[in-house]
Amino acid sequence: MKLTQRFTASALVALAASVGATAHAKDAKDISVAVIPKVAVPFFDDCNKGAKTAADKAGVKYQWVVPQNTQGSTQVQIIEDLISRHVDGIAISVNEPKSVESVMKRAEQSGIKVLTYDSDSPRSGRSMYIGTNNEQAGATMADTMGKALNGQGEVAIITGQLGAVNLNERIAGIKKGLAKYPGIKIVETQGTDDDLARGVSVVETTLRAHPQLKGIFGVSQVGGPAVAKVLNTKEFGTMKGKLEVLAFDDLPDTLKGLKEGYIQGIMVQRPVTMGSLAVEHLVAQIQGQEAQPKDIDTGVTVVTKDNMTSYTK
Amino acid sequence: MICSEPVKEERSVTAISSKKEPPSGRAADWIRACLRIRELNVLSVLLLVGLLISVFSPYFLTTNNLMGVFRSFSLIALMSIGMMLVIITGGIDLSVGSVMGLSSLVTALVFQHGYNAPAAIGAGLAVGIAVGAFNGFMITWIQLPPFIATLGTLSIGRGLMYIITKGVPVTPDVPDSFTFIGQGYIGFVPFPVVILLAMTAVFSVVMRQTRFGRYVYATGGNEVAARLSGVRTARVKFTVYVLSGLIASMAGVIAFSRFVSAEPASGFGAELDVIAAAAIGGASLSGGAGSVEGAIIGAALAGIITNGVVLLNIDTYAQQAITGCVILIAVSIDIWRVRRKER
Repeated sequence: MKLTQRFTASALVALAASVGATAHAKDAKDISVAVIPKVAVPFFDDCNKGAKTAADKAGVKYQWVVPQNTQGSTQVQIIEDLISRHVDGIAISVNEPKSVESVMKRAEQSGIKVLTYDSDSPRSGRSMYIGTNNEQAGATMADTMGKALNGQGEVAIITGQLGAVNLNERIAGIKKGLAKYPGIKIVETQGTDDDLARGVSVVETTLRAHPQLKGIFGVSQVGGPAVAKVLNTKEFGTMKGKLEVLAFDDLPDTLKGLKEGYIQGIMVQRPVTMGSLAVEHLVAQIQGQEAQPKDIDTGVTVVTKDNMTSYTK
Repeated sequence: MICSEPVKEERSVTAISSKKEPPSGRAADWIRACLRIRELNVLSVLLLVGLLISVFSPYFLTTNNLMGVFRSFSLIALMSIGMMLVIITGGIDLSVGSVMGLSSLVTALVFQHGYNAPAAIGAGLAVGIAVGAFNGFMITWIQLPPFIATLGTLSIGRGLMYIITKGVPVTPDVPDSFTFIGQGYIGFVPFPVVILLAMTAVFSVVMRQTRFGRYVYATGGNEVAARLSGVRTARVKFTVYVLSGLIASMAGVIAFSRFVSAEPASGFGAELDVIAAAAIGGASLSGGAGSVEGAIIGAALAGIITNGVVLLNIDTYAQQAITGCVILIAVSIDIWRVRRKER
């Protein structure tokens, strides 16, 4: 009799343990993840593509929430609404790193898994950052420029939002990389808020102010289209081919510029990969399968006329 | 009790003689009087939209969510109090977004230079008073139309922000006592909402029970008649612009306390949201009508739509279009009811 009692007792314990274990692992279709980009620009459409594919594959509910502007307060509001909605995971590309710190911590405290992609907020307590190692990308750009210019010449940097952390990291990487080429001087660094009209006017002003310019670093996505547009005019048409133009992100206009010879190289990030990794890791963390999340560098591909039809992202 | 109405609406009394006598008695009178409250029009649209959202999302009516929504529209609602006062006098203040951003920035800079919270808050509020006084001076002394004058200060403010920040957000270290303003709670109510409720109560009383309130409506209703009756209209107008600026700077200080980051584009476009809230609240852009409570309800309506879009997983691109449609519907219902009463 004692044996059967002990047997029943251990069977009950085993049953309870297995119920407890399955209760922790959530059913995929009950999991909901939300992915937030910076703002509505084409780069993030690729992120959305990758993220949605991964979400469909994992069978989880997916929500893509686009802020109306680049102000920190807008993303704070969105995260608060998502907390109210009790989503299980949030992946965000941060516009302004400091303003989202406290709301992201609040999300984490309420049990939501949070990670950043493309643009980080390092002090927000997020589990991991998935994106381009921007300093490395900048250094690669500097190397490419240095070799093309044979180490001599004046260059200009055209960036997007002056306060954007990822863009400033790229610029820091460029400056570090250019230390190897003391003959190259940065004569101008201008911001455009990633607005095309601003970009065109800034590039025109820069070219007029520095007629000896040998190279342009387009550190954000507006650089390529802006320079291509400006070099396609009567006033600046003669500079085509004499300027080494390196751009970031493969917008259709930038690729066209590469094909037509206005642009010599594009640093292409891997937004589709960023999106899909973000969702994959969120789901893994929600289901308790990822104990030690580590940052992931998705890297860049240097795209030139030679490989422009064969690269992936 | 919000049952008293401003000067304009007395003329409907003579036309009712041919209608049947409605049931009388204290209770019926009371109910009828309350149904005639103008604010009920927009309030019912607000409750209807809220009901609609709560049907589709179980999370809408939770304390956390509602308090979060209130806090997120509290700044626009706060500024719409000042805007309502200005619009009632027949003017407009396009500079409120700029003032809000500039105040945030000045507060941040004072912290960055090592001063304490009272100094920073004082500096932020001083910006609002200064700009408001400047607007008031332009409008009452130089006699510039309010639209032009405040458009000018809007641009100057924006420009100053970009010059000072050079495009980079200002993110100083701030003491916890200061962040309580934007991030703290009294019970379960966020502190910005407490501030909003307090200001609404104060200005509701001011507009309905004090002489100053009467003067504001009089100045807007018919400025010449008001002046001839002894109302110092220039002084009244100057005061409302200073109040609008001060309130906008309060919003700026609260915003900075919440996000601890003063961005160069902060407050950009806020003036349109504030004017929309005031318009929904019954403001007539020619002056003389509208109420503080109505403006708050208007801001609430725009606020819950923003929240509802995320809760219901509606495409965020549709958000602005939806807000525009709801605003048009709300104001149309309001105008229709007012016209019907006047027949």
